[in-house]
Amino acid sequence: MLGLMPAKLFPGVDRIVATFVRLIATGVLPVHALSTLARLAAGFALGAVAGVIVGLLMGRSRWAEDVLLPLVSVGNPIPGLAYAPLFVIWFGLGNVPAVLIVGFAAAFPVAVNTWTGVRAVKTIWIRSAVAMGARERQLFRKVVLPGALPAVMTGLRLGLARAWRVLVAVEMLTAVPLGLGWLIFGAREFLATDVMLAGIAVIGLVGIGLEKLVFEPLERATVVRWGMLAR
Amino acid sequence: MRLPRARAVVGAMIAFGVSALAWEVFARSGSLPPAITPPLEAIAAALGRMIADGTMFVHVGYTLARIGVGLALATLVGVPLGMLMGRFKPVERFVLPLVSVLSPIPSLAWVPLFILWFGLGNTASVALVLYAALFPLVLNTWTGVCGVNRLWIRAAESMGAGSGAIFRHVVLPGALPFVIAGLRQAFARGWIAVVGGEMIAATRWGLGWVIFDSKEFLNTDVMLGSLAVIGLLGLGVERLVFAALERRTVERWGLMRSARA
Repeated sequence: MLGLMPAKLFPGVDRIVATFVRLIATGVLPVHALSTLARLAAGFALGAVAGVIVGLLMGRSRWAEDVLLPLVSVGNPIPGLAYAPLFVIWFGLGNVPAVLIVGFAAAFPVAVNTWTGVRAVKTIWIRSAVAMGARERQLFRKVVLPGALPAVMTGLRLGLARAWRVLVAVEMLTAVPLGLGWLIFGAREFLATDVMLAGIAVIGLVGIGLEKLVFEPLERATVVRWGMLAR
Repeated sequence: MRLPRARAVVGAMIAFGVSALAWEVFARSGSLPPAITPPLEAIAAALGRMIADGTMFVHVGYTLARIGVGLALATLVGVPLGMLMGRFKPVERFVLPLVSVLSPIPSLAWVPLFILWFGLGNTASVALVLYAALFPLVLNTWTGVCGVNRLWIRAAESMGAGSGAIFRHVVLPGALPFVIAGLRQAFARGWIAVVGGEMIAATRWGLGWVIFDSKEFLNTDVMLGSLAVIGLLGLGVERLVFAALERRTVERWGLMRSARA
């Protein structure tokens, strides 16, 4: 505005808003956002299923806990993005490595939280169900699973947040055909800072939307309704 | 850990042994070229080579320096801001909307823009760590200050403490467990940001850069070796630095019990 900084690098808010509106009207932003979301959904589904299975195994069997826990606790602190170049070599460019990295990164918090949740199920609930004659299957379905659910939800939430973070960066590295990360990275080549900032705004909005529109209703419909978590 | 130590150690050995064996069999089976899946001794040799000629230490040093400076700046800005938010309503009303809009944006989305603003190199990486680490610190400090037991403040007031003394002796120690938790989260996020930032905002040194650079030459052994170093460093800082910090301060003052006790 004042000319202290080149407007090319620091576009005014009016420019950003105008670009934002233009990109939405021409359908560019929605297309990029949708393909990013599709990738997120596929990767997160993979990671969530794998994470819940590993977490349940670790929580229910001592043997699985002893063997899997060291692997999980070493793998957990490695940023998912650090694997990206390796996955590109192994699986090529494009969608496959992007989805796999997202799934891989998301699986760890889900597994850790599911494991904690299963262990935190009150022994008194299990004992009373056993005393009332519940079999192993029933015990699992009616006591352990709902009892662990609040923690599993926390894990899914953390996993999704992590997946979202990783995905945006991975799209910059694996040269996917469309996507918000790619949009920002591509716009840099043309010094289109207004497009970049508009893309960042959409990324932030989608991040808030995932939390507000996906997890809060899901929590209200399950753990809050069952009275396991006050909200 | 409820498990007896010996059991956990045996479990860990089985886990790493089995996965190393599986990797070795897979790598030597020839189903994929060895350039893509190097056997373990090649990875170990690459690591040994980098340690012997000292390059690994330079990479580690650069990465740690970047995250260190970024975290220090974030602490200098974030903790006072969180404290102000917790103590003064107008500050909270002004800052909180900004923080809640900016914090869900992944820090790595800013990389291309930061490159344009700050150029390639250290500044962009440090700025990225600062961005990634700032929000957990602000939010946790704020929660901590708001969560300080009212009774403690009233008790201190009735014993005649001035607002400066209350802040120093009640609010600050009371909020500290949250501040440290925030620091932990900030480190975890900053660690991701610094590795990612180094990959894209390429400089000549850094653990993220070495992985990305090795990809160009298909040096998968160097990549896997550096990956192991990243994992070990992340785990090590978390276990050694933050666990020790917690023991020295909040656990010693009896504000928080160790989960292990």
